[in-house]
Amino acid sequence: MDSASEPPVVEMLDIVKVFPGVRALDNVSFTVRRGQIHALLGKNGAGKSTLMHVLTGLYAPDSGTIRIRGTVHENLNTARAKQAGIALVSQHAKYIPGLSIAENVYCGMLPMKAGGFVDWKKMNRDAHEKLSRFGLDLDVTRLMEDTTVAERQMIEIARALFADASVIILDEPTAPLPKHDVAKLFEFVRRQRERGASFIYISHYLEEIFEVADHVTVMRNGAVTGTSAVRDITQQELIRLISGANVERYRRAGGNIGKPVLEIRKLARPGVYSGIDLTLHAGEVVGVTGLEGSGPGELARGLFGLEPLGAGDIRLQGKPYSAASPIEALAQGLAYLPRDRHGLGIVAIRSVRDNISLSVLMRLQSLVGLIDGGRERKLAGDYIEALGIKTPSINTAVENLSGGNQQKVVVAKLAATEPRVLVLDEPTQGVDVQAKVDLLRIVDQLSQRGVAVAVVSDELNELMDICDRIVVFYRGRIIREFRKGQDTITTARLLAAIEGEMGEKADATV
Amino acid sequence: MQLSKHVPALLDHLIWVILVAVFIFFMTQSPVFLSSTNITNILSAAAILGILVVGQTFVLITGNFDLSTESTLGLAGLIGMFLIVPATAPYWGGGIMLNPYISIVVLLLMGAIVGYIIGALITIGKMNNFIVTLAMLLILRGLIMAFTKGTPISGLGFAPAETYFWLGHKALFEIPGVIKIPVAVVATAAVFVIGHIILNHRRFGRELYAIGGNRQAAIASGIDADARVRQVYVLSGLLAALGGWMLAGRVGSIQANLGEGYIFTVMAAAVIGGISLQGGRGTMLGALGGVLLLSTIDRGLNLMNVNVFWVKVIQGLIIMLAMFIDAQRVRFRSFEKVSQEPAGGQPAASN
Repeated sequence: MDSASEPPVVEMLDIVKVFPGVRALDNVSFTVRRGQIHALLGKNGAGKSTLMHVLTGLYAPDSGTIRIRGTVHENLNTARAKQAGIALVSQHAKYIPGLSIAENVYCGMLPMKAGGFVDWKKMNRDAHEKLSRFGLDLDVTRLMEDTTVAERQMIEIARALFADASVIILDEPTAPLPKHDVAKLFEFVRRQRERGASFIYISHYLEEIFEVADHVTVMRNGAVTGTSAVRDITQQELIRLISGANVERYRRAGGNIGKPVLEIRKLARPGVYSGIDLTLHAGEVVGVTGLEGSGPGELARGLFGLEPLGAGDIRLQGKPYSAASPIEALAQGLAYLPRDRHGLGIVAIRSVRDNISLSVLMRLQSLVGLIDGGRERKLAGDYIEALGIKTPSINTAVENLSGGNQQKVVVAKLAATEPRVLVLDEPTQGVDVQAKVDLLRIVDQLSQRGVAVAVVSDELNELMDICDRIVVFYRGRIIREFRKGQDTITTARLLAAIEGEMGEKADATV
Repeated sequence: MQLSKHVPALLDHLIWVILVAVFIFFMTQSPVFLSSTNITNILSAAAILGILVVGQTFVLITGNFDLSTESTLGLAGLIGMFLIVPATAPYWGGGIMLNPYISIVVLLLMGAIVGYIIGALITIGKMNNFIVTLAMLLILRGLIMAFTKGTPISGLGFAPAETYFWLGHKALFEIPGVIKIPVAVVATAAVFVIGHIILNHRRFGRELYAIGGNRQAAIASGIDADARVRQVYVLSGLLAALGGWMLAGRVGSIQANLGEGYIFTVMAAAVIGGISLQGGRGTMLGALGGVLLLSTIDRGLNLMNVNVFWVKVIQGLIIMLAMFIDAQRVRFRSFEKVSQEPAGGQPAASN
């Protein structure tokens, strides 16, 4: 297909978007051609989402030109963007769970019979025919809630195409998908491309880019750092473009590692992980990584009592450890920073002070059972200062802080419990570059005070910067362990292990 | 932006401004409005409403509802009386002739047990709080009807019942014609003060705000949210029973409809006072403002001889106004949030 001669479907030129204090998009140009699967890469906060929000009409750019199918759009809003053929399929597709596939496909425009009754037969027949035209052979009378996530996404894409979309934005579509469904989704996407649809594909998984995309654009700190045909670029080059050669980093000097604090032996949870042996020492920072669903996140939540932990021998400072709830975990000295900050981390509508003191209110009570306001303010004030939390006052609602400062509030809440073991699940997710550096410094400082820290993350550079050891999960097992100072740790080696390559073979390929 | 910054604060304190305005309005309309008798009347009515609102405030802050309190109130007031007075005319009680002090303990216990059952159904039975308390509202009202069999139970003129009436009927301090401070008013004032201290200065109260603000985050912070919710319903049931005891003393003779329809006023007072129905927001002081405002309006309309039908209409309008204010509060807060979000250096939601 020779699409290069045609005008691009989407052409964004010199887009600038400034938020107070941040140049979110700095002269960004981005072009998508007909029948192209264009990958858009970059870290959280790099500007991908902002760029897509501009394209879907959610944000108005401060300057720049947007041309869709040859027409310049001056005042794009969400309705006009949709009309122009831009559709967004988010990771969690929007659907009505209690209705059938057919009803969801026809949502809002159910075919009617005389007298205002729904023509179910026609609806089911047409829905099936429409979907099969896109290669989806489904029983359309099934309830939407009974479909798999991949099926929902494909239905969502098909729906967008019915509505005459020419460019479909896929925002991290594979994150919630099991491996075999990823292949199905890719096949479906490729088939739609053959029919002339274009895709903007946002993902953190580099290997997927080489599998499905034709073209790739990388963003960092609000600017495009590179754009290329996928066949002309290597994974190494992509990593360099994403993380930047001179990106600001915090490197931990190395810890003063003490006695074992948390000892996990032969831990197994059927269908999730098995044979887990892991020891965390006082003052040590251990990185835990692996593909989504391979075990690290589940283990972290299990240790904190948010999920079943499974069977095995776990000791915390020599004493048998088990936690059926966060209360029990905290009582034994294990604190957890959740990945889902808004769902599990902060009480957004309450103040910074309320959030920081939340887990230690018991300790702040005086003899008569009243909370000592002075001590509470001091506690909050001390952590605000120590962690560099930027907030107008201790009484400001946490929802009014930036993501990075919200995350620091959560860390302050955990640190206030004076834990022996600190488990951090994706601590730098959704925070800006400076806050990332700050958070890593805070993690380092906590470990220097003798806390055993585990960092669950897929930010490999960050793990390499602050961890004394990195253990890699693959399909519910720890398949490799890298020790700082003993093993050569590189992104490529870590990635190979994450993808399941065993020790020698992985080393041989590097 | 400047406006949206000040509007939430204004909305939070609006209640006191309105209260003063309403007060001045009724003063101009009725010469006796400011008399000591009338003020005492307002406060006496506010006392019973206030007890229920304190209980409701605790429940609402956790993000739950308790619709059953008006029936708990009715049943508690009734049981107290039923146990004390003879079965014969004109009392029509249970003929158990229980000591009034024991009777008071029984009715308070009953309230607490009702609350615990509700709390257990919601947290252990995983049932919807709205439906559970609605069902309890009906069940208890049915029990009240079964008890009274259509005949009022009266304690008027029966000496032991007079002891029972102390809370709702007696004055703590009185110079006839000059000043009268009913026991009920002092009791409710104390309940508000204790409620305020619990909410702001005790771990229990502070955890309730966290549960209402974000239940999952509260649990992940080591809070036993289910236990707290059960305790809050026990508190609500207990206070409703206390209110029933108070109201029994005020009326002296108990009919099957004691407290019926009260819950609307309770909810309205709480919401007008700034207690968010979404949970996590609101103060005892605000709730007190809501109680005083509704009691004042009720009494003022009464003095102006406004037809009882119009009183209903006005009460409905006030509830609507309260919901409107609550909606605005949420709206302005979300405005504030959107306008500040990008400022923090994290432009779009990046994931």
